[in-house]
Amino acid sequence: MKQIIRITVGLTVSCLIAALVMGSVFIVTDKAKKHNEHVNVQQTMLGLLGYTKSHPAPSDLKLYTVYRYILTDGNTSTLGYLLPVRKGDAAGYHLMVMDLNGQFVNQHPLDLTPNMASEATERTAALKKVVKPPQTFVYADATIVAMLGQKRLAYLLPGEFPGFKTFIHVMLALDPSFEILGLEITEQEEDPGLGAEIKQDYFKNQFKGKSFNKIKDLHVVKEPLPDEYKTYLEKDEGKRTPIPDKELDAIRANYQDKDIYALTGATISSKAVTDGVKTMVAKFAYRINRLESVISTQKIPVAF
Amino acid sequence: MPATTKTNFQLVSNGILNENPIFRLALSMCPAVGISTTVMNGIMLGIAVLFVQVFSSCTIAAIKNYIHPRIRIPTYTLTIATWVTVIDLVLAAYLPAAYKEMGIFVKLIVAFAIITMRLETFACKNSVPASFWDGIGMGFGFMFGMVALGFVRELLGMGTILGYDVLGFRPLLFFVLPAAGFFCVGIMMAMFNYMELVYNRNRRAK
Repeated sequence: MKQIIRITVGLTVSCLIAALVMGSVFIVTDKAKKHNEHVNVQQTMLGLLGYTKSHPAPSDLKLYTVYRYILTDGNTSTLGYLLPVRKGDAAGYHLMVMDLNGQFVNQHPLDLTPNMASEATERTAALKKVVKPPQTFVYADATIVAMLGQKRLAYLLPGEFPGFKTFIHVMLALDPSFEILGLEITEQEEDPGLGAEIKQDYFKNQFKGKSFNKIKDLHVVKEPLPDEYKTYLEKDEGKRTPIPDKELDAIRANYQDKDIYALTGATISSKAVTDGVKTMVAKFAYRINRLESVISTQKIPVAF
Repeated sequence: MPATTKTNFQLVSNGILNENPIFRLALSMCPAVGISTTVMNGIMLGIAVLFVQVFSSCTIAAIKNYIHPRIRIPTYTLTIATWVTVIDLVLAAYLPAAYKEMGIFVKLIVAFAIITMRLETFACKNSVPASFWDGIGMGFGFMFGMVALGFVRELLGMGTILGYDVLGFRPLLFFVLPAAGFFCVGIMMAMFNYMELVYNRNRRAK
């Protein structure tokens, strides 16, 4: 009996000490960690738009985030978009609700600033004030609209789709005509040396410049990647390459409408990324067109 | 096993050669087979194991008198898990660049047999300094094993070393696949054992 008590107490104490240590370290580091993640996402987004340290983003580049929620009331679902709007000089958010056929339902102003909106808890709190039970809401996804002055520069879509092993998280950049500006793999756990090569320039840059029509009919071919194309894909923006610009343009024109060359030994991962990107672009184009038509008919003062 | 009488240098070299975690103790074979596809992976995982091993060994050596023998294994696991979490959080917060490269490797470590085994057979019977040097030896021994495996597999599988193209072509894709890990570990283990055999035979002949 004495033994049992000693063991119980010993285990409890060790667990408590471990929990205390881990908990305090978590509290101390949490803020810095969140900040780093935020910086990381920002860098990925700017990188996709073609801005680097040596070529920084202009000051009138603005990123607006649109959040999409799914509202459920009994058996009927509607879509709730959190839209950044202009309120005089200040910026705020509106909740715009539309049904699944793209018909406008209603809209509510939200007590939310763009800075607050980046925190999921703040968004939930603001939404709870306007979405009354029994109606419930779940977060679906976010889209970032990049504006350069008054001009719409690009859409940035964070997304995920199943890979060979687990989900592959990506960030995709599209221009206003839905041509791919760039693809960045943010998180993946494919096999090192095989599927993990999807994050290499010579694979992911193949998506760059594919037009909306080409994406609809994009396939993966099991052919070796031609050398000249590989050099072109791996060239560093801003750095000089052994190939003159004229030839680079010729290579680009030549491979513009070609399919995606599969990675050696990782056809499944290559196909997963290609199909994932295809689906993301198709769904996004469909959604944004419906959103645009509602915004223009309802004359919502959106910021983008 | 009584407290060790080895010098610090012997403790370190012991971990790298005599009791190399991968080739002699045959522990932590999962990462050795699964992740040793490139030299870089080997180095990263080696560094991560080195830190966790040293910190855990020192902690256990310091508190060994307070651990009830019946609950020592859960305590070891807790210690390792705590250090892994702490290292993971600190890296994520203050060294984001290193975290980007090493993050996934640090998280893998909790279940490594080599660390628990070293705490059980060494740290709980020895002083803190001796455990520190033993941890260093084991960490480098593990790194050495992983890099050796990664070198062979990366060179033969992808024709590169540390990502730089050395051969210019991919000789045998098979070496990158998980199955080849078993072959590489097996052959290297045999080499290590053969070296010891020859060494001992020569010593006896003298």
